[in-house]
Amino acid sequence: MKIKKNTSTMIFNIITYVMLTFGAIVCVFPFIIIVSGSLTNNTTILTQGYSVLPRDITLSAYRTIFNAPKDILQAYKMTFYYTIVGTAIGLMMITLTGYVISRREFKYRNTVSFLIYFTSIFGGGMIPWYLMYANVLNMKGSTFAIWFPALMSPFLIILMRTFIVGSVPEAITESAKIDGAGHLTIFFKIVMPVLKPGLATVGLFLALGYWNDWYRSSMFSTSSKTWELQFYLYDLLNATTALKQMAQSTSISTAELPTQSVKLAMAVVATGPVILFYPFVQKFFVSGITVGAVKG
Amino acid sequence: MKKKRRLVSIVLALTMVLTMAGCGSKSAVESLNEAAPAETTDNSTAAEAPAAAEETTEAAALDTSERVDLVFYVMGDAPVDEIAVEDALNEILLEKVNATIDFQFSTWTDFQQKYSLELTAGQADLIYVANWLNYGQLATSGAFEELDDLLNTVAPALKDTVGESNLNMCRVDGKVYAVPCSWAEYTCNGVKYREDLREKYNLPVPDSLENFEAYMLGIKENAPGQGLLTVTTEESQGLLTAFDAAWILNLKYPWVNANGLPYGLASNYDTPSDVYDYWYSDDFTDDMKLMKKWADLGFWSKSALSDTNDSEAYKSGLCVAEIAGQNPNKQIAAIKEFEKEQPDWKSEYIAYGEITNTIYPGHATQNGTAIVRGSKNPERALKVLELLMTDESINRLVQCGIEGTNYELDANGIYHNLSTSIPEEFPYEGFNTWSLRNGDYKLPQETDVILNQMFDKYEELGSKTKFPNVNIYNGFNENYDAYQAERTAVSNVMKQYLAPLQAGLVDDVDAAVEEFRQKMTDAGIEVCRDGFKEQWEAYCNEYGYK
Repeated sequence: MKIKKNTSTMIFNIITYVMLTFGAIVCVFPFIIIVSGSLTNNTTILTQGYSVLPRDITLSAYRTIFNAPKDILQAYKMTFYYTIVGTAIGLMMITLTGYVISRREFKYRNTVSFLIYFTSIFGGGMIPWYLMYANVLNMKGSTFAIWFPALMSPFLIILMRTFIVGSVPEAITESAKIDGAGHLTIFFKIVMPVLKPGLATVGLFLALGYWNDWYRSSMFSTSSKTWELQFYLYDLLNATTALKQMAQSTSISTAELPTQSVKLAMAVVATGPVILFYPFVQKFFVSGITVGAVKG
Repeated sequence: MKKKRRLVSIVLALTMVLTMAGCGSKSAVESLNEAAPAETTDNSTAAEAPAAAEETTEAAALDTSERVDLVFYVMGDAPVDEIAVEDALNEILLEKVNATIDFQFSTWTDFQQKYSLELTAGQADLIYVANWLNYGQLATSGAFEELDDLLNTVAPALKDTVGESNLNMCRVDGKVYAVPCSWAEYTCNGVKYREDLREKYNLPVPDSLENFEAYMLGIKENAPGQGLLTVTTEESQGLLTAFDAAWILNLKYPWVNANGLPYGLASNYDTPSDVYDYWYSDDFTDDMKLMKKWADLGFWSKSALSDTNDSEAYKSGLCVAEIAGQNPNKQIAAIKEFEKEQPDWKSEYIAYGEITNTIYPGHATQNGTAIVRGSKNPERALKVLELLMTDESINRLVQCGIEGTNYELDANGIYHNLSTSIPEEFPYEGFNTWSLRNGDYKLPQETDVILNQMFDKYEELGSKTKFPNVNIYNGFNENYDAYQAERTAVSNVMKQYLAPLQAGLVDDVDAAVEEFRQKMTDAGIEVCRDGFKEQWEAYCNEYGYK
């Protein structure tokens, strides 16, 4: 079957395609520069600048990285660990919290919701936050300090609650109750199966948050063994700038700093898995966000 | 109902005000600097009084019966062999003073912020301090332990090694809060230029503004297409200059500090307390005309004001001289790089001070170690610091790692790193403890041969000045709380009006200078100048810099 096209749809389509193509180029272009730069000889980058297609192709940057891949692999391992553990536990806790504060029979649900919501507007600030984890809970240096602080977020809890309220009618759980189901049975047998899109959305938000985080490593890691991947890369860049700055006022060695092409190759190596992984979960992501949105 | 609604609206309004107040207030670090000391001063004065009393009676006998685990907070990233070297170090320290030490690293990400946090959290005992980490301000606000008494009772050997005059430079409001390193280092700014090109085209050594111009012009004529200078605004942040090219003017003026004093003031090294005006003087107009001439000759790019700094330009031959933010160590780095990649090229260095007779070493607060206020074991921490600095084998261990594993000395006593991997398992000064450098034990690296030659030359020149080998300017801490707003305005006018002037990118220099001066006056430069002069003169009086 063919859908009839009239002129206005044609024009609309053309405009849409042009805009989308433009948007896609804007998004892809920097990445192409990175990939091409990582394949270019370092001196060529310095003398001739970056280009879309690599000139003087060489794999030496990648060779440098994979000569001593220990650090980057360790950072990968830790990031996978944080992402999996953090997402699993966080998802569990957020869903449970969302479910509880969506139940009518929970008398204090408004108070609890308010307390959760309150923290999304009023935070203690960075210093109390740091002192809490470092001095009170004594977590500094442990891997715990890196995934624990990000387990729950008010935004995701509210998203989950809205989703549960919208997709699980009170009547269903009530009838299950009459049939003799307890809270756990109701939650796992009746509510959870309906929540799949919601779980996918919240899970993706959490996972992306963990994958992209560098701040908690920066604050709480005392050994490079516990670094997240993004921090490993970010610190590499920062170290280069900081050492060059410092060399102005005191004698320190700046000979060992990574070259431009090595930095770019690092970026490629770090983005690799996300690019491979993203197309497969993207459909959940898109549908999840629209499903999770508040419907009128 | 109406009441309730009104209540809600009040609460909402309050919420908004509060959140806005939160955004508008000072940055976290700043407020931290203010908040932290108030709290720490209290408990420490309480804790200190009995401790001090005890010390004076017991004198040097330090009680080491109980094992103590100390934390030393240092900047930068940890070396690969951190644990191995720490273990070796702790073995000795346990035996000598029954203490261990654990180095914790700031990493180079957000290090300023984390440094302040570390001081607030107070979990470290020893901490690296430096003027670029706001040593003066932090000491004033009570972040560190006072060391005068402790040094006498616990670590007299350390005091001798470092020397009274060095310690005095670390005094803030009359008290010592940090132990500087005992290695005099010269970081005098200067011109780095290509000696091979100079010889090839038979040009003069760029040791004056005329000769510099001749050098540049010579290369421009003989090698068309060769880039000359890659100056930007990046090495010229702050309140001294606004564009890198203006650094070359140091060849002309014997100023107390490279680029003069802030707010367009200046004073000569021989008469530091005699402050005079530069921006409103005729010299300034003449200098700006010279900059315009050079810009018109094409010494630097027309887009120099918006270019970003390319620190590898010299190495890759994009420029033939570097004039801003250079120091002997960068010259050494250039020599090393040329050797590796461009064996025909030769780099030479002229310090501005060589020409104007204003050579002096780096200030003592460049690299120091302090004890964090609130440390439970300040005496033991100082004792450990003494060992780290004054015991030759311990000092070598902490600076260079384990001999035979991490490094070896060749027949001439030159240091060679033994690691085969990148990054090195334990690089030279791998713990970034630049503050523990001891001039007597510091192992020379290959490149240090040239560096030491340079330092020897500077030391000789420096000993002939009016204040032999004293860095006058960098011990001064300006307190600009009273004129913060004017200071910011001045800084903005510098970026907007001074930068194009110094980059020679104006049509009519006289008119542009006039406009710049007018804008400066409007911004409140007089307030800043008065405030600065008063403090500077008080500082000069205190130290006898007349």
